[in-house]
Amino acid sequence: MTAKKLIRHETILALLVIVALFVLDRQSDRFFTVDNLFNQGRLMTEVGLIALIMTFVIVTGGIDLSVGSIVGMTAIVLGVFWKNLGLPLPLAILLALAVGTFAGFVNGIIITRFRVPALIATLGTLALYRGIAEGISQARSVRGYPEWFFVLGQGSVLGVPTQLWILGLVALLSAVALAYTTWGRTTYAIGSNEVAARFSGLGVDATKIAIYAASGFAAALAAVIFVSRVSTTRSDMGTGLELDAITAVVLGGTSIFGGRGTVVGTILGLILIQALKNGLSLAGVKSDGTVVLIGAVLILTILVSNLFHRDANR
Amino acid sequence: MLRTMLAAVAALALSAGLAGAQGWTGGDDLPTNPLPCDGPAPAPEPMAYNGGEPANPPDRNGKPLTVVDVPKLIGVGYFDATSKGMQEAAAELGNMTITTDAPVEANIDDQITVIDNYITKGVDGILFAANDGVAIAPVLKKALAAGINVVGYDSNAEPDARQWFVNQAEFNGVAKTLVDKMAEEIGADGSFAIVTSTFTTPNQARWIAEMAAYQAACHPEMKWLETVEAQEDNILSFNQANTLINKYGDELKGIFGMTSIATPAAADAVTQAGQCGKIAVVGLATPNAMRPYIESDCVKSTVLWNPVDLGYAAAHVLRATADGTLKPGDTSVKAGKLGDLAVIKGSEILLGDPFVFTKDNVNDFDF
Repeated sequence: MTAKKLIRHETILALLVIVALFVLDRQSDRFFTVDNLFNQGRLMTEVGLIALIMTFVIVTGGIDLSVGSIVGMTAIVLGVFWKNLGLPLPLAILLALAVGTFAGFVNGIIITRFRVPALIATLGTLALYRGIAEGISQARSVRGYPEWFFVLGQGSVLGVPTQLWILGLVALLSAVALAYTTWGRTTYAIGSNEVAARFSGLGVDATKIAIYAASGFAAALAAVIFVSRVSTTRSDMGTGLELDAITAVVLGGTSIFGGRGTVVGTILGLILIQALKNGLSLAGVKSDGTVVLIGAVLILTILVSNLFHRDANR
Repeated sequence: MLRTMLAAVAALALSAGLAGAQGWTGGDDLPTNPLPCDGPAPAPEPMAYNGGEPANPPDRNGKPLTVVDVPKLIGVGYFDATSKGMQEAAAELGNMTITTDAPVEANIDDQITVIDNYITKGVDGILFAANDGVAIAPVLKKALAAGINVVGYDSNAEPDARQWFVNQAEFNGVAKTLVDKMAEEIGADGSFAIVTSTFTTPNQARWIAEMAAYQAACHPEMKWLETVEAQEDNILSFNQANTLINKYGDELKGIFGMTSIATPAAADAVTQAGQCGKIAVVGLATPNAMRPYIESDCVKSTVLWNPVDLGYAAAHVLRATADGTLKPGDTSVKAGKLGDLAVIKGSEILLGDPFVFTKDNVNDFDF
């Protein structure tokens, strides 16, 4: 039992992260500086927020491909509410978060009420939400946000980038929710055997809808932070973000078939990817080479983990 | 509850669709500045320097420079050509090394990350072509604050986020050349359509806005049928051009291609439809892509600048900035074999007039 616990996926991944950090540190003396690490945290926040909730989605055996498009749509909605409708910015932010949550809620409804597989449902809304974003924006970007808004994406609180506090809070909440609450155990139960979960009297549909809505909320929150970080709003924001988030979750050991996975694993996955991207670049590897290496690391980690996993079960 | 929700989604989608259907041309909202219909362009009004300044840069005069070039993306012919020009300049100057690194897709977030990493790594200079001029500004300001020399080319950022910008051709100049060439071919009252990349691409949106303004002022009888998006995709561009030909039939007299991909695709569609000579194609494209259509007389003229010269000039401007030979307030800069280039709009350096490739000169170029 103890041996099995030791060679869990998360342990292997944690070792890999430590090795990677150590090797990358040897490549460049600018890697392990507080400035660089905080800066990497800043760059990681948007995909991190989405990946945290994506862990829940994938643990239920589902997937949410529409998150990148929700980022684009809520960013545009934020800009349009503020600039074109003249609402105060805080209200526009709240409304944008509401729209994102609603978009996730719609995903949940399509998946649970109409029994459409999550892959197909969110593939559909991936196109739908991006289309709405482009339709509303008409290629106009919204700029000229007030200075205080940039604190969120470019400023610091107590010496730490503002958005890292948010990421940390969401990480803590989601880790506790998945590991220690009834809600979290329901999530695992759905992913392990949805039919059994349903017959056990668990609120399968309600839980799923809540998770997809939360996924939409996380995407909307990421959008607000992203807009603040880059100081402009464009309809093509967040393109491809869903794949970055899914990569981190899967690298973190969450089974794509559901029922297995932890928030800690996702966080380690996120850190490993960000460290590789940044460290390799500092070591002089160009971005095309980095992408290749991240793909290789993903496949290798899963292979090694499967190997140990099987050994442990034998 | 469910029904109301679906209705809400449908209404949202519908209103988005309707908004797109109002005769919008694909231009942006920024003010336009059409050139006069005939005669030379008025001399630019002198403007105070409006670029940024690096904070406490070290003395780089004559010292070797490590420079990173971050175009919109890598792996496309156009930016291969600009980077070739930079390498030419670097070889000629002998005291700078330029590495080109950028995302494999034209994505604002990835481009920001690439630049951010090079700031941390520590370089002397950054050359960039922005995917979004506003989104890239914070990271460029960070580079300036770190004492790095920052020069843009091809696609600008907010002026105070970089020191200089090498402008390949002014938007109103390109717009005038394109519309004049089209009017020459299809007559003063012809109808035309546009195939562009996406409505969000800043350069294309700007050209289209300037074209609309110039056409309204100088060729008011011409009729603007439609602007269609075709990404930067060969097949989609061909299909869009084909759809235009079928949709408008004899009414369509000319097609503008706004990208190096859309223009040859439109020429191909016109050729395959057997409409050469009946439908004119005028657009922005590289001579290599257009050579077959120019040689078969299907296309009379293609407008562009020389991207190799653009990269070459950008490298020279960066060197001059680092050396301190190009200072705020200067009116021109020496750029090697290109001679003296003029400073316009406070902090931009103009490469020259747009270049028109025709059957007579297309074989003198290879890019």
